[in-house]
Amino acid sequence: MQSAAVGRTDALDETLTEAVVDLVLRGMWRGRPEADHRPLVDAGLAMVKGPMVLPTERAKAAAAQLLRISAGSEQEQRITAAYEAFLPVNRKIREVCTAWQCRPDGTANDHTDSVYDAEVRESLEDVHEAIQPVLRRLEPVLAGSGRYITALDEALDRFDDGAVQWLASPLCDSYHTVWMRLHQELLLVLGISRAQDEALEEELVRRSRG
Amino acid sequence: MSITDRHSGIPAQTHAPSHALVPYGQGRIRGLDAGELGTHGIAMDRLVALGLPVVPGLTVPAGSAASLCEPGTARTALELVEQLSGRRIGDRSRPLLLRLSASASTEVAGLPPELACIGITPADADGLRAVIGRDEVLYEVWAATVRMIAEYALDVPAPELDDASLDAPDARARVDALLSTVARHAERPYPDDPAEQLALAARAVLGRWASPRARRSRKAQRLPAELGIALHVQAVRIGPWDHSGFGTAVSRHPDSGRFSPQGSFFRGVRRSAPPPRTGEPLEKLGGSTALLEHSLLTLERHLHAPVTVDFEVRDGEISLLAASAQSRPPLRAAVCLAADLAGDGALDRDEAVRRISPAQVQELLHPQLRLTGGEQLLVKGLPASPGAATGAIVLSSERALELAADGTDVVLVAHETTPGDVPGMLAAVAVLTGSGGIASHAAVVARGAGKPAVCGAEGLRADRAAGTVRIGDRVLREGDPVSLDGRTGAVYAGTLSVSVAGPPPELSTLLEWADGMRRLGVRANADTAAEVSTAIALGAAGVGLCRTEHQFLGDRLPLIRRVILAADAAARDEALLALEQAQHEDFKALLTAVGNRPVTVRLLDAPLHEFLPAAGEAQDAAEEQRAAALREANPMLGLRGVRLALLHERLYPAQAEALFTAWADVAATGVRPELEVMIPLVSLPEELAAAAAYVRGAAEAVAARTGVEVPYRLGTMIETPRAALLAGELAEHAEFFSFGTNDLTQLTYGFSRDDVERQVLASYQERGFLTASPFARLDPHGVGALIALAVERARSVRPDIKLGVCGEHGGDPESIAFCDGLGLDYVSCSAHRVPVARMAAAHSALSERRHDSGSAR
Repeated sequence: MQSAAVGRTDALDETLTEAVVDLVLRGMWRGRPEADHRPLVDAGLAMVKGPMVLPTERAKAAAAQLLRISAGSEQEQRITAAYEAFLPVNRKIREVCTAWQCRPDGTANDHTDSVYDAEVRESLEDVHEAIQPVLRRLEPVLAGSGRYITALDEALDRFDDGAVQWLASPLCDSYHTVWMRLHQELLLVLGISRAQDEALEEELVRRSRG
Repeated sequence: MSITDRHSGIPAQTHAPSHALVPYGQGRIRGLDAGELGTHGIAMDRLVALGLPVVPGLTVPAGSAASLCEPGTARTALELVEQLSGRRIGDRSRPLLLRLSASASTEVAGLPPELACIGITPADADGLRAVIGRDEVLYEVWAATVRMIAEYALDVPAPELDDASLDAPDARARVDALLSTVARHAERPYPDDPAEQLALAARAVLGRWASPRARRSRKAQRLPAELGIALHVQAVRIGPWDHSGFGTAVSRHPDSGRFSPQGSFFRGVRRSAPPPRTGEPLEKLGGSTALLEHSLLTLERHLHAPVTVDFEVRDGEISLLAASAQSRPPLRAAVCLAADLAGDGALDRDEAVRRISPAQVQELLHPQLRLTGGEQLLVKGLPASPGAATGAIVLSSERALELAADGTDVVLVAHETTPGDVPGMLAAVAVLTGSGGIASHAAVVARGAGKPAVCGAEGLRADRAAGTVRIGDRVLREGDPVSLDGRTGAVYAGTLSVSVAGPPPELSTLLEWADGMRRLGVRANADTAAEVSTAIALGAAGVGLCRTEHQFLGDRLPLIRRVILAADAAARDEALLALEQAQHEDFKALLTAVGNRPVTVRLLDAPLHEFLPAAGEAQDAAEEQRAAALREANPMLGLRGVRLALLHERLYPAQAEALFTAWADVAATGVRPELEVMIPLVSLPEELAAAAAYVRGAAEAVAARTGVEVPYRLGTMIETPRAALLAGELAEHAEFFSFGTNDLTQLTYGFSRDDVERQVLASYQERGFLTASPFARLDPHGVGALIALAVERARSVRPDIKLGVCGEHGGDPESIAFCDGLGLDYVSCSAHRVPVARMAAAHSALSERRHDSGSAR
């Protein structure tokens, strides 16, 4: 199977493109029916490891190529502007998740201090308020990006219903899981490396917090 | 609120809330309580009363907070703050701004953000900037103030303000953009007059407090919808940025717990929410550190808790902005403080012990890497997720999943973290990254998955293609073992053992005090000499359960197999002799480690199937046949414990003889362990009588052979409901009982533990049938009732019978309190739970004492 896949041209079967992008942005599929991943595995784009399906290096390269928009375009400029507004909030959401998991002194948050947890929930609301105008600006210039706000809303609803794993658990489409996927998509769309991303975030945060 | 009830019984409302503006320090004199002054007003009052330096400011009491929205009141407030601070707004050489904040009667979440830039106009901005010497911060704070006033006091639509902010990433341009958005959309422009600004700021803060978001938040916190807030107007005395600043400090070092002010200080005009990683150490405060230390010490003695303060720096001098007891101090700080206060006589020892819960004791004894000094430290990163782990390096999710599927512990090493690394993190025992901090995606995911993690290890380069990790000069390959500690950030080469930490010195002190307060003894379940030594070091009074099963496994399995499957008596006796010699050595080591303490040795209790060869692996066809005949449908309820001993009549005598001979040998060295021999899985008094006869026979045989009469007690486990019900009859043959609460729970419920833990318990807990697993917390109504009944019946026959518990419940604080209530003599738990049990037993005794003295009054 592998050799057949390698022999193909770079052009992917159109029916596979959506699936490969989804798999790469998620990093894994768990509990999907075999019919979903079989074509990807046959095309050398996915591998099955126990209960998980992972993207191959080829899939990662293909997704990067599929998502990247043309350099220097107006679309790129507008997405870049949204991405730069996203970065300081991106720092903030990670701090919020951290505060939910750990007290400021680094010990695990045992969730017995309701005032502390309510304060974290307030900062989460700040993040949610701050990301909405950014996603509103992204929506007309990045097809499909509207799904992120829906997924974030859903995670927040579930969190408020008491299923607190919907904030930061890697095992469900939690607020942080969805956020990481959005972050990854922006990086692939703009062709920005993690190192560049980290440096730019640091600079913007420093500037915005004086 | 309760505060008024407690102090005077007179509701605050009888003093009509005056329009008075209450300068810091004058609230109590005017008869105002937390409901009026807010937590901040109360804290500032306290600081003034203690003679500590505070920033100038005043409180508008909750009952009259809305009056600050009137420009007249706002002007009076402004003039009062000018007077208190000796400065004037608009003064060019010694400028003053105002900061407006709010607080409620208790600590609550979701208070409106403070507005810290009131009293500024575009015309004075240049002058202020010249005094400060830098501008970014001023504009940031100013923009935030304008934004909130625009939205909540001037009703400018939020999307307009979002757009203006997003289009102007530069803070200075953002202030202009926001001001012109206000001009376009509000009924009136943003005022220049400072009093009008203050009045609008008050309107914005109260508007934000009344907003749907804030109401939702109060509802979620179960706070009254109409909860009031006090407003606080503080002076912000502007000076050169390098002589001004904001700082925070706590009184104790988080790791050692000792009194040692910790914190940082940030230069600039901000008075809150400092930017990350720009702080300077407190030593940079120069002469003011002494005043800070004095303030922290005074507050600790006053509040009897580790404390935290916020302070302002102006012209190199500090004044306090806020102070309170730390809501959740680091554990070691809390423990050290309790020991310090009790040591100085400022606190009773009882009270000091009461302050530290058994769960906190457990937390202080978290597992960590056992360091011997010879380890090779590879790198120290940021402690991102607590816990210690050791495993083989993997560089990809793919490899992690492959190795983990084979049962290998792996540590995922990543230079950066993408969603593609998440499956690897889930499969790994720990995560190590070369970039990102404790708030990186990797750290969030690791904590979310409960994996220890070290992040941001500097100089770490992972090369997936080459399969190598470079850390400084060292090159490691995929598969090499590493060990890491997510609490310290340390990463070591090789495989280190992970074990429970011993108690730090101040905890040992508290535990010693606790020992003096408890009635219930604490022993440990320990099977080997090494385990016994650990348990004794952690404060166990002796061994409550020594299981002898392990003496028959490993190399000795063929011997016991020969006893059980022997074709003839000669083969069996030969095997038994070999077993007896091996056990003799084990017992000698064990008894030596026990010293002059009590030790309960349980004779063999393994289910038969553990000793039978797997089908097809017997030595010959005849043995295969005998083994097949012995296989059971339900081994846990089959030929086990005393039942096996009665069918293989030489088993217990051989064990007991080995034990008694070992005792005689150890006694010759001057050590005399208090030996207790225990018969397992008894449900008929006749079983116990027969087993007791074997043990007596063994003692006589040893006495005849060695001349030593070994002193021992004979007793039984109580682990079947029938044994509990027949406790009276059993007590005729037993000098002690040990309740085996694991089996007793299984048999009382008819639960097979392995099965119900997988299938049933979670669902029962969700439905509210059970509040905790009965295997973790002793069921007081069923299993507990059986124990209570057995205790009563046993004591009626033998009043001095010794009673203990040796199930896992022996380490659970609630179960310990239950056992203490029944008047048992001791609990026995695994070694690492011993300190927890000591504390839990002391708490149980203290609460009983408090209960008694309460009812006596």
